[in-house]
Amino acid sequence: MNSMRTLLTKLATHPLALLVLFVVVFFGAPYLRGATLQILSFALVSILFTQSINVLTGMAGQISLGHAAFFGIGAYGSAIIAKTFGLNLFLTIPVAAVVSSLIAYLLSYPAGRVKEVYLAMMTLGFGQIFLEVAREWTDLTGGVMGLSGVPSAGLGTLIILGHKFSTIDYFRVLLLITACSMIFIRNFSQSRLGRSLFVMHYSELAAGSVGIARRQTKQLAYALSGLLAGISGGFYAHLVGYLGPESFAISRSIEVLVVAIVGGLWSSAGQVISAIFFTFLPEQLQLFAEYQFIAYGLILTFTLILFRQGIGGLLFLPPRFIRQAWLTTAVEQQRQATAANSQTNEPQFLKIQTVSADIKVQEITMRFGGLVALNSVSLDIQAGHITALVGPNGSGKSTLVNIIAGVFPPTSGQVFLQGSDVTAQADVEMAKKGVVRTFQDPRLVPHFTVRENIMLGAHAMMHYTWLEAGLSMPRVRLQEAQALEQCNEILQLLDIEAVADQAVESLPYGYRRMTELGRALLARPKIILLDEPAAGLSDVEMTRLAEILVKLKHLGITVLLIEHHMDFLTGLVDEVVVLDSGSIIFKGDMLGMRQDPKVIAAYLGDDEVQHA
Amino acid sequence: MISAKSYSSLTLIAAALLLASPVASAQQTIKLGMTTALTGPFNEFGEGNRRGVMLAIDEWNKKGGINGRKIELAEAMDDQLVPDKAVQNMRRILDNKDIVAIIAPAGSGPSLATMDMLEADGRPTCNPLAQSPSVIYPKGKENPPRKNVVSMAITNEAEATRLGQILGKQYKNIGVIHESTAYGVTGAELVKKSIAVTNPAAKVQIESYNQRSQDMTSQVARLQRSQVDAILVVGLGADFAVIRKNMSRANVKVPLFGSTGAVTAPYLEGAGDLAIGTRSVSPDAFGKRPLSAYAQNFVDQYRAAHGTDRWYGSDAANPQISMAAIVGNAYDCAVVLLDAIRRAGSTEPAAVIAALNQTKGLAGIAVPSITLTAQIHEAFKPEDLGLFEINKSAAGALYLKPVVE
Amino acid sequence: MDFFLSLVIAGACVGSVYALVAVGLNLTFWTTKTLNFGQGAVMMLCAISTALLTAQGISNGVGVIAGVAIVALVGVIVERIAVRPALKTAGSMGWVIATLGFGILLQGITSKFFGSQAIPFPEVLFTVQDVIDIGGQNISLQYVSIFVVSILIIVVLEGLTRYTVLGTAIRGTAQDMELAIVQGLPVNLIVSGSFVLSSILAGIAGILTAQISGTVDPAFGFELVLMGFVAAVLGGMGSSAGALIGGIIVGIIGKLVGGYISTAAEHGIAFALLIAMLALRPEGFFGRAEVSKA
Repeated sequence: MNSMRTLLTKLATHPLALLVLFVVVFFGAPYLRGATLQILSFALVSILFTQSINVLTGMAGQISLGHAAFFGIGAYGSAIIAKTFGLNLFLTIPVAAVVSSLIAYLLSYPAGRVKEVYLAMMTLGFGQIFLEVAREWTDLTGGVMGLSGVPSAGLGTLIILGHKFSTIDYFRVLLLITACSMIFIRNFSQSRLGRSLFVMHYSELAAGSVGIARRQTKQLAYALSGLLAGISGGFYAHLVGYLGPESFAISRSIEVLVVAIVGGLWSSAGQVISAIFFTFLPEQLQLFAEYQFIAYGLILTFTLILFRQGIGGLLFLPPRFIRQAWLTTAVEQQRQATAANSQTNEPQFLKIQTVSADIKVQEITMRFGGLVALNSVSLDIQAGHITALVGPNGSGKSTLVNIIAGVFPPTSGQVFLQGSDVTAQADVEMAKKGVVRTFQDPRLVPHFTVRENIMLGAHAMMHYTWLEAGLSMPRVRLQEAQALEQCNEILQLLDIEAVADQAVESLPYGYRRMTELGRALLARPKIILLDEPAAGLSDVEMTRLAEILVKLKHLGITVLLIEHHMDFLTGLVDEVVVLDSGSIIFKGDMLGMRQDPKVIAAYLGDDEVQHA
Repeated sequence: MISAKSYSSLTLIAAALLLASPVASAQQTIKLGMTTALTGPFNEFGEGNRRGVMLAIDEWNKKGGINGRKIELAEAMDDQLVPDKAVQNMRRILDNKDIVAIIAPAGSGPSLATMDMLEADGRPTCNPLAQSPSVIYPKGKENPPRKNVVSMAITNEAEATRLGQILGKQYKNIGVIHESTAYGVTGAELVKKSIAVTNPAAKVQIESYNQRSQDMTSQVARLQRSQVDAILVVGLGADFAVIRKNMSRANVKVPLFGSTGAVTAPYLEGAGDLAIGTRSVSPDAFGKRPLSAYAQNFVDQYRAAHGTDRWYGSDAANPQISMAAIVGNAYDCAVVLLDAIRRAGSTEPAAVIAALNQTKGLAGIAVPSITLTAQIHEAFKPEDLGLFEINKSAAGALYLKPVVE
Repeated sequence: MDFFLSLVIAGACVGSVYALVAVGLNLTFWTTKTLNFGQGAVMMLCAISTALLTAQGISNGVGVIAGVAIVALVGVIVERIAVRPALKTAGSMGWVIATLGFGILLQGITSKFFGSQAIPFPEVLFTVQDVIDIGGQNISLQYVSIFVVSILIIVVLEGLTRYTVLGTAIRGTAQDMELAIVQGLPVNLIVSGSFVLSSILAGIAGILTAQISGTVDPAFGFELVLMGFVAAVLGGMGSSAGALIGGIIVGIIGKLVGGYISTAAEHGIAFALLIAMLALRPEGFFGRAEVSKA
């Protein structure tokens, strides 16, 4: 099974195989019957449209039940501009696509603030509104009478720069654009931006913790999705020559969802097959029309449950989100560099070049409704030290870390980072300033490999744009390669190189913890906040973790960790702070803490119970 | 059980047939093609159309076909009245170079979507049902029609003219409620124009609704506020029933008129006794007693083939008025195309179109007397419509009864 | 009858049905944080069952009860095969798409076996001509009775959830499912029950709406569920009083816009309200902003 998948994946991704396929289809077009050519054109439009869902729903996890609206904006936009200004489709389609992208961008403002069911409803409502506008704005769209006379190759009315486009010409242009788009998306998905879309889906908090701006990421997803949908809509318009509002009703939105889900939500290759299948099926099977609803209903109800990965998961290996070629080079280079220098196993890029960072927390109070989680807590976290934060459950430790990391602001009080007031800074800003944290429960992208997850940490360090990513500009390769090299150093530091290219969901808990730590480290922290890093680790793993933390200290990084494992902390930490019910009851060293009566009463217990 | 002896005779027969068939295939059939709503919510119209076409073909084949060649409906594709599907289907039909003539889809949506493609192709096409003017006259009535497309459908214009005459003559303040589709929008606009011609002083207020709306209080209340003295609904039966009920709840008791598409079975079933008194214009063909010989033949053939079904109605002596406009129009389409092919003596598009334009006084069902010229491609005339009113028969069934004006 | 009044009464009536749908949606939202996006098909199934049965000669009352019973069963099925597995495996999107798909499936099966045509719905509550005279205005008894029935059901439901053990159990499950399990509450039963109840409410809403329009077809219900969503969001997800007020507001505003501005706008105004509400105040008028410790 796996060998078949490997073979198919090789075929589907091998540049030569794809080129051959392209050439065959491109030059074989004149030999096809008119109807077949038309259906293939419809299939290409469907592929493009499905890619818009791939970006928004498959990658970024934002559900859209009204995507027909963007398809329609592209279609009507291109048609109206072409008819009104007599411009050809090489101008009108891009313009219409940009309009669609813009509107999607605007939609991201309200949509980005809501989740799941609310998002589903909002997109549904948006789709309905578009339908109503298309129906009623007769002067612009032709209303229910529709818009006829759209320049179309099939009708012989598509004339560009004096040359009359035949259906073959049109098909070839469409094929070229589709191929380019697929390449663009593949490049994009293997860039920092593509990866950041995925983490938005699985944990927005994790995204913020390594400096991935949530709002901008969502905006990017929407805008790119709108662009793709708009392009596909434009090509649709010039394919059919006549637009009626009913072509953009909810059935269109549902159809594209079906295609995307059956193809496999983030599998481009699977979606191509799915799009072709669903375009040809109604054509070949006249019977299908009657059973269409039943078929779509069954697919939507059961595929995500039974058959999650869709056709893509069935036929191909899971797609990867790092460019294999760059990875191989980077790993090679990094190995050579390490061999040449044979230094201690400490990634030098993590070394604090200037001064270690300290954090000062002043009179922080945090209220959640009626619950007082922190009560006027003041604390100095010394630069370059390892500080532990301990206390019973519910004492406010995680809350304090959340506030320092910028997840939410305190009800009152201030936080100072190296002397500057950072109280109001959000987590994304704090991460960029070098305050990085991990979570009690590792928040990773399950189907990413260890390496891909860690690479998320490098997001804020790289600076290329989505356009550069899609076009695979040299800048991209340089920055990715550098990040990959550093990533490899971290993998070695954490001793998880062996599992670097396995999906984290298949790995035991200890590896996942390390992966999250790796991600935090790749973000070049000055201060690292660890939330129960030792929980669930075996003794061996805990020893390893302690060694790593000591190495971090050598590099000048300040460490704050929440922990319950007293043994783990002994000999490791410079200072320990004990919280109970939102107030600090002890500050000092480990020895002092063990003997402090208040701490014993509140937390340790008379027999110094050791937590497992 | 097939015995050895009969097996060998079967082989002989099979061989004979095989030898015989090359001779038969030299005389190729005359092939027609259509895409229509065979299934789905509108299959009443599409399937009805198909039956009309088949009835004509069967009849002509019984009489020997055309110059010895049999006629065949080579492609009958299903588009469920979805324009995109109609476009795909039509492309497939047009790819088949053996098809000599085409019957258009059963509604304005898919027809408008495929008309440009049909015109570009050039093969003779007949439109059985779509009422929008731009199906035949894309640039308006003042300009020539599409060269290769003729229509047997009730035109919005014919209907509007008749309705306008009737409404304008008797009423001063008319309310028109129409569905938000091409059929509804053009229908309402044309009625308004026609009323203005008959009675320039009359006021016309237009309201619209989306198909399958559950409650039409706003539309009815707005008309009530304007104190209209008659209401016309341009739409389909199920929605018409909703409007009728709303009128009753709002205690609006003015005379009610419905377009041809509105007084169909769903209206009668949905509104029940409330439908009594509703007036409509419909093709006259089945309203006359006795039926013309041609019409009688048609209904007898239909009954023989399908019995008293949903299109015919339960009463054998009284076929439903709507059948003329749903089955009869497609029948006329097939007949007019076949007649032109026969007169042209060829299936070449140019020759057939020339013959079409010379059709004079050909007998029809929806259009009792079909006449076409180079300029006139819509056979239906306002005079082909009669005024009907819904009555209840002694047996308790609702039916359309002709009204003598 | 007075223009404004006729719009308001019709609006309140359809709005009360939206509220009924919204309350049904709330029920499953409480217990599982999910909604049945295929709720429209449930409404349709109930109405069509009733219509078909009464057409066969069965009395109206029995027809209604049978229809409701059928969709109650559908509620169990939806939860079992679409919601529960989706929640376990596919995260947030899974159940939205699964329930949407289930609704489409129901619609497909119905139209395959009973055709896509609209079939007439019997007059269960009064007839179209029945009116009542209030203050000189003739008001349709059908509108009034539908309004009263909807309000009554919502009030009874609210009473049940607030003042009975069953209601407390439901609210307990809603607050914290794990705790409820630990406490020994039959959580699976409660969840299943919430879907059953939700479907029953939807079925009744379907019958009431079919009563207004007079016919029902397989595509029936989708629009209504959207309106139910809008009502639920406007009032605040999870609040019965909110659903009631939200529904009536949506209904009345829709009719007023249709009456005073344009009938074309009536359709889109609800969605505009939805987006505005979600953008400005997602918790609705009566919901409370969700606070979590992250």
